[in-house]
Amino acid sequence: MAERPALPKTGPAQIHCHDVKKILITGISGGQGRLLAQKLIGQWDVIGVDRVPWVGAPDGISIETLDLRKKRLRNIIRIERPEAVVHLAFVRHFRSDPRVRHSVNVEGTQHLLENCAEFGVKRVVVLSSSYVYGAQPDNPRYMQEDHPLNVSRTFPEIRDLTEVEGLVNTFLWRYPDIATSILRPVNTLGYYVHSAIGRYFKLDYLPTVAGFDPMMQFIHEDDLCEAISATLDHDLRGVFNVTGSGAVPLKRAIRAIGKSRVSLPESVADLLIDRAFRWGVWEFPPAALEFLKYPCTISGRRFDEATGFKAKLSLEDIFAGVAR
Amino acid sequence: MNGRLKFGDALRAGITSFDCGNAIAREIDEKIVDIPADLNSYGYDPWGYNPKVFRDFLLPAAMMYRHYFRCITNGIENIPEGRCMLIGNHAGQVAFDGLMIMAAMVLEARPPRLARAMGEYWLASQPWLGVLLDRIGSSIGTPQTCADMLDRGECILAFPEGIRGMNKTYADAYQLQEFGLGFMRLALQTNTPIIPFSVVGSEEQAPSIANLEGLGRLIGAPAFPITLTWPWLGPLGMVPLPTRYHIDFGAPLVFDGDPNDEDHVLYEKVEQVKATIQSMIRDGLARRESIFF
Repeated sequence: MAERPALPKTGPAQIHCHDVKKILITGISGGQGRLLAQKLIGQWDVIGVDRVPWVGAPDGISIETLDLRKKRLRNIIRIERPEAVVHLAFVRHFRSDPRVRHSVNVEGTQHLLENCAEFGVKRVVVLSSSYVYGAQPDNPRYMQEDHPLNVSRTFPEIRDLTEVEGLVNTFLWRYPDIATSILRPVNTLGYYVHSAIGRYFKLDYLPTVAGFDPMMQFIHEDDLCEAISATLDHDLRGVFNVTGSGAVPLKRAIRAIGKSRVSLPESVADLLIDRAFRWGVWEFPPAALEFLKYPCTISGRRFDEATGFKAKLSLEDIFAGVAR
Repeated sequence: MNGRLKFGDALRAGITSFDCGNAIAREIDEKIVDIPADLNSYGYDPWGYNPKVFRDFLLPAAMMYRHYFRCITNGIENIPEGRCMLIGNHAGQVAFDGLMIMAAMVLEARPPRLARAMGEYWLASQPWLGVLLDRIGSSIGTPQTCADMLDRGECILAFPEGIRGMNKTYADAYQLQEFGLGFMRLALQTNTPIIPFSVVGSEEQAPSIANLEGLGRLIGAPAFPITLTWPWLGPLGMVPLPTRYHIDFGAPLVFDGDPNDEDHVLYEKVEQVKATIQSMIRDGLARRESIFF
């Protein structure tokens, strides 16, 4: 694992000034949450909630450990009255009970949105994922935001993400005064984030499917932070794809990070991964194989034009960061 | 992959062991670097095109172009710079006509161009075939992918007859089948000139006597042609007869209009393209003195 300096234990002292607006980050103890909090701490008065504490959080960030579905969230928003909310708190792994995952993601989001509307939040950013489009053989190579969210056709385990988007979209139309935006970033890699693709790349031997090698896009966690920050700065409303520095075939990416792969025939891969997932020795459901077979590449043009965003880290930088 | 002999390398080694193969390999190597492409630092363009794979793929195609089908190509000067759409007739059970057009665009066009074929959707779900399609710069023919490519000044190769043309029986030889409207909509939308082309010789490479579509559907393929050799000779039955190909590129056709017009309005424009290609086929057949020589 590449060396990356630890986050500083103390941030700049909290500025007690009425100009500084409050921002609530849900899922602040996750990799992306911690990075974002660090980035925003100078410009915003950052508060955070998460199900787990952030050990060694910088001074000046107040963090509540709670479940988004619980009433304490309402109290926090009622008392703190944040100007903006960034919603990162999603269960994105498959280790827990799928019912719990679904409930946390969907009901947690609904509870959060209700309270945002009630207590005068002005900006809401929800971090979805490009995975909502699903990996299908007949996908256009660069899908735009209006492409149907097909993931549940082959990968029902992550349909909660599309259901969350449905809730946020309803919210977006119902509250025209709130700048609500959904970001759909491509595969996110970096030192701190625990993305699905990041966990896949950490395996000793990466299973791939023989005869398939889809183009994949990657974005670095720092660039994603930059994108979230740009969304806040520009008061964006709507749904936006967020892309990084380009695309490479999956197997080329694996070579670039210096890993070995095991190429399995389709039928063998389906069977092996199905069994391994059921026995709990493998964390991705068999449907995730679709993403190793078919493209799920998106066009980030709309976001780039709206914000002037341009990813700073190249594919080489991204792969060097996760290479061992 | 290092240390393992790849299929492409083996094929290349085999072909370049002949003098004529070696000469063509050198010619391709020289021309392929002149193909305009937007490659990233890993050598791939946004749609997955990789010149190294394309080079290995093109070598046998170029050998066929020069020494098997012995293509006679006219009108290559009609290919404009920048975006264009190559539209022509499709025949011969296996898409060697597409392959020969791709070879002609590299070997004959100045500067060499990458013809990006718009394939059938089912190709993308086939192991290896789907990847190969991407690596040689082609794609399945989703309208949006095609529009993106045209926006970036690429050259698109499409057969609006699709399977209807390729897998028709020999009784319908050189009669254009129904054209799809999609290409016209895209041409209007992106203001792209259409280059009509005709291929004469492809119909006789594998004359088909029947197309068992039902059986094809059963095995997941869009067609199942019966020819004089297929399926009787097994995989060998797919080898085409060495007919001579006559390829003609016509003058660019430029259309104006609303891409969202009613189908019948688009249909009239499509009919113009179709009529042009049909007359080019007639000319080609009239000029031809022998099927094989």
